[in-house]
Amino acid sequence: MAFTSHIFLFYFLPAVLLLYHAVPQRWPRIRNAVLLAAGYVFYAWASPWFAGLLLAVTVVNYGLSLAVAASEAKGSRVLWTALAVAADLGALAFFKYAGFVEESLNHVLSLVGHDAWPVLRIALPVGISFYMFKVIGYVVDVCRRQSPPARSLLDFACYVSFFPQLLSGPIQRFGTIDSKSDSLPTFAEQLLGRSQTIERFSRGAALFMLGFAKKILLASAMGQVADAVFAAASPGTIDAWYGALAYSFQLYFDFSAYSEMAIGVGLMFGFECSRNFAAPYRAESFSDFWRRWHISLSSWLRDYLYIQLGGSRAGTGRTYLNLLIVLLLCGLWHGAGWTFIVWGAWHGFWLIAERWQKNMGAAAPTGLLGRCNTFFLVLLGWVIFRAADLSDAWRLLSIMSWPQRAQGGSSLLSAAIYTRGSLFFMALCTVLVFQPVQGFDWVRRLSWPKVVTLAILFALSLTTMFAQSFRSFLYFQF
Amino acid sequence: MAASRVQSICLIAAFLMMVGVVAPSQVICDLRKGDSPQILELLRRKPTQANLRRLESSLESGCTAAQAVRPWMQAARFVLLRDTGDKALLGRDGWFFYRPAVQYLIEPAPSTQEVLNAVLAFRDDLAKRGVKLLVMPAPNKASVYPGMLAARAARVETVNAGTRDVLAELKAAGVEVLDLFELYHQATEKAGTPPCYLAQDSHWSPEGMKLAAEAAARRLLEAGWVQKGSARYEAKSMPVERYGDVLKMIRVPQVERLFEPQRMDCEQVIDAGTGKPYADDPNSPILVLGDSFLRIYERDEPTSGGFVAHLAKELGFGLTSVISDGGASTLVRQQLARKPSLLEGKKVVLWEFVERDIRFGTEGWQVVPIPGGSRPGEKSLSQSATSRIMAGHECTKEIPLRSGGRDRGQTTIGQGKPNVAGDPYERDHRQEHVAS
Repeated sequence: MAFTSHIFLFYFLPAVLLLYHAVPQRWPRIRNAVLLAAGYVFYAWASPWFAGLLLAVTVVNYGLSLAVAASEAKGSRVLWTALAVAADLGALAFFKYAGFVEESLNHVLSLVGHDAWPVLRIALPVGISFYMFKVIGYVVDVCRRQSPPARSLLDFACYVSFFPQLLSGPIQRFGTIDSKSDSLPTFAEQLLGRSQTIERFSRGAALFMLGFAKKILLASAMGQVADAVFAAASPGTIDAWYGALAYSFQLYFDFSAYSEMAIGVGLMFGFECSRNFAAPYRAESFSDFWRRWHISLSSWLRDYLYIQLGGSRAGTGRTYLNLLIVLLLCGLWHGAGWTFIVWGAWHGFWLIAERWQKNMGAAAPTGLLGRCNTFFLVLLGWVIFRAADLSDAWRLLSIMSWPQRAQGGSSLLSAAIYTRGSLFFMALCTVLVFQPVQGFDWVRRLSWPKVVTLAILFALSLTTMFAQSFRSFLYFQF
Repeated sequence: MAASRVQSICLIAAFLMMVGVVAPSQVICDLRKGDSPQILELLRRKPTQANLRRLESSLESGCTAAQAVRPWMQAARFVLLRDTGDKALLGRDGWFFYRPAVQYLIEPAPSTQEVLNAVLAFRDDLAKRGVKLLVMPAPNKASVYPGMLAARAARVETVNAGTRDVLAELKAAGVEVLDLFELYHQATEKAGTPPCYLAQDSHWSPEGMKLAAEAAARRLLEAGWVQKGSARYEAKSMPVERYGDVLKMIRVPQVERLFEPQRMDCEQVIDAGTGKPYADDPNSPILVLGDSFLRIYERDEPTSGGFVAHLAKELGFGLTSVISDGGASTLVRQQLARKPSLLEGKKVVLWEFVERDIRFGTEGWQVVPIPGGSRPGEKSLSQSATSRIMAGHECTKEIPLRSGGRDRGQTTIGQGKPNVAGDPYERDHRQEHVAS
């Protein structure tokens, strides 16, 4: 169930809000139970079978986390944790990567003249990458004694199936908080008791309305342009750049919108969550970019992978290797395809280059130059990320690198992408992306102009939603 | 602090009102109509993935609030942003283009193997019966008039390489192909020639249609596949005014009203002796298969003024036709396979399909064997079925289809009757024709 779907907006959300707030605040467990039920209905809506997987993941990890917590010896704690992580990664690998591995193997087999193996067609449970990272982080935190285990299966199940974050994050941790995020109570603490105030609810509603407007008005418009350009046989150089820019904006407005809507819905139920985006296209370097883009994922990778690999403590070469491994896995997390792996390598390369430059004592570009440089390189990365395959990515990057006109039927592309509407929204996106005040901060303090603006934007977005065919969120596929 | 609280309450009220009012109002609307609330379907049916998707879709499409708001929003978006929705593209000087047809031209060449396999198998099946095949792909409008969509494309060859490949490979395989691309290209080069396509429509204009009919007749007569007949038909001028199908695909009356209905100088073909409009002849030596390009003017207003009637006029005898809107790639042959008696006594099959179907053809390009293939002279076809067709009992047939939408799933076997079944668009389309 997507946040922008009719069923969610007009049936599910009002019904759950009504049910939840009908339960008095002094009964948090009952409220948690309402959220748990809502989470399973929300998840089962995509496919009732997926709810079974969610339940199995929850029960297995809860059981293993109790075993981890009960183990005094570090060795047995690590063993139980390894078992839990292996089970989670195994499930993730089966559902998400089995087909990719088989296809890659078949490609190799075909090169040596062997017949291809039949490829398993496995339905990818939506959101699996997100909730697997949540449960892995939880078990590791319990192993590190940074977090106590959940006090009950209900609490843990409520955490895993918390519907605002279930499909596309943010990857909020259970018993710890990201050291760089705002100082907030942990999710576990909020499960025990949370204050539900008018101000908190209104901030949630404001974030939701703003995120909804970003998705419907901006991301969808940019998505149409990007889809047309990336599908074109021979776009011109300007078309390709325009399409790449549109995709960069689509991705940001789509995913940041989802994050804001998720945080907003969470707030309506009294749960605080730290921001997931902080003006990422204003980043002055790649390391700065990853402090601003999908913050909950990058901090998860830092805390549970990069540091685990030794981080920057094991010498320069090892630091570079760790960065590369983390970014390659980050790419693979986004999707089972070579384009994602190469995209991860692209980011890894520039992170290493920045680190090397710093080690050599050379000055990195900062300010406007740094921003332009970073945005330019990030945009090229998005072309690889969006392309159907590596040859498609190479084709588009080649077109972008040398001036050429659109060929053949692709010259008709201009009628589809340089419309009055797309030019208007492109200009609007450009202004919004590069200005410093982001939606998350803008709604912190309400004022009358903001209330009126939000109400108008939401009404406009709802009516636009009625008039456009449904577009799912990009990050659902990851 | 107090002001902040009031602002918060107002914002919450606005939010809850907007998300909370739709479902109750829909329930009230359903009850007032005497229906049970749609949302209760959730409790009535097993919650399978398919049932849930169906419910979600029906809630969305049946939402009264959305239906009330949608046209106004779309009209505003059209006026302010020139947004024409998912199916239409706005060109220059009030020309509209069908988006999937343009998409076909913009995107890479599709694989042509399936098309070749289907056409060659059909050609061979017909050959076993002694029937010859003439294939006539109808160009997308943007292939002929790219400059009316995008100025920079005016002097560019926009025909998809896949189309060129299909034409070349069919010719190389010995299939007779009528190249309308070349015909229309020459027509557009001539100064003063009326446009071969309609401005607001995805189909050819009466002039473009007549050019195609004349070229087809010329080809058939020159090849000696048929001899010119003795029936005398005359063309009677019958101008028609109506909005084009692409403009109507925006589905917003407020937008339609911004434009004048397009005027088409149609000519109805009539029997010179009786004065009656042209009607198909089941005993004709020619069977014409095709899609909505054959339906326009023929089954639509003015009726008997489309490609089939004008081809009959040029040839001097009536034709048999099977028309499937959007189904010329496979559906029309499936229909023929169900009624192989339609081939009884035929010498030629003329098969028209629109260019975009090479990629987007409904049901793809399946090889559809025609049952009961036999050499000429062998008696194998169902005489009773032939009789039914001849008696005009099987003139209209609707085939359920995988996907809905414009140009999908109407199959008619020609007796010159207008379509009465089919998708809602077609019904609206016909009702709003304005005959002058």
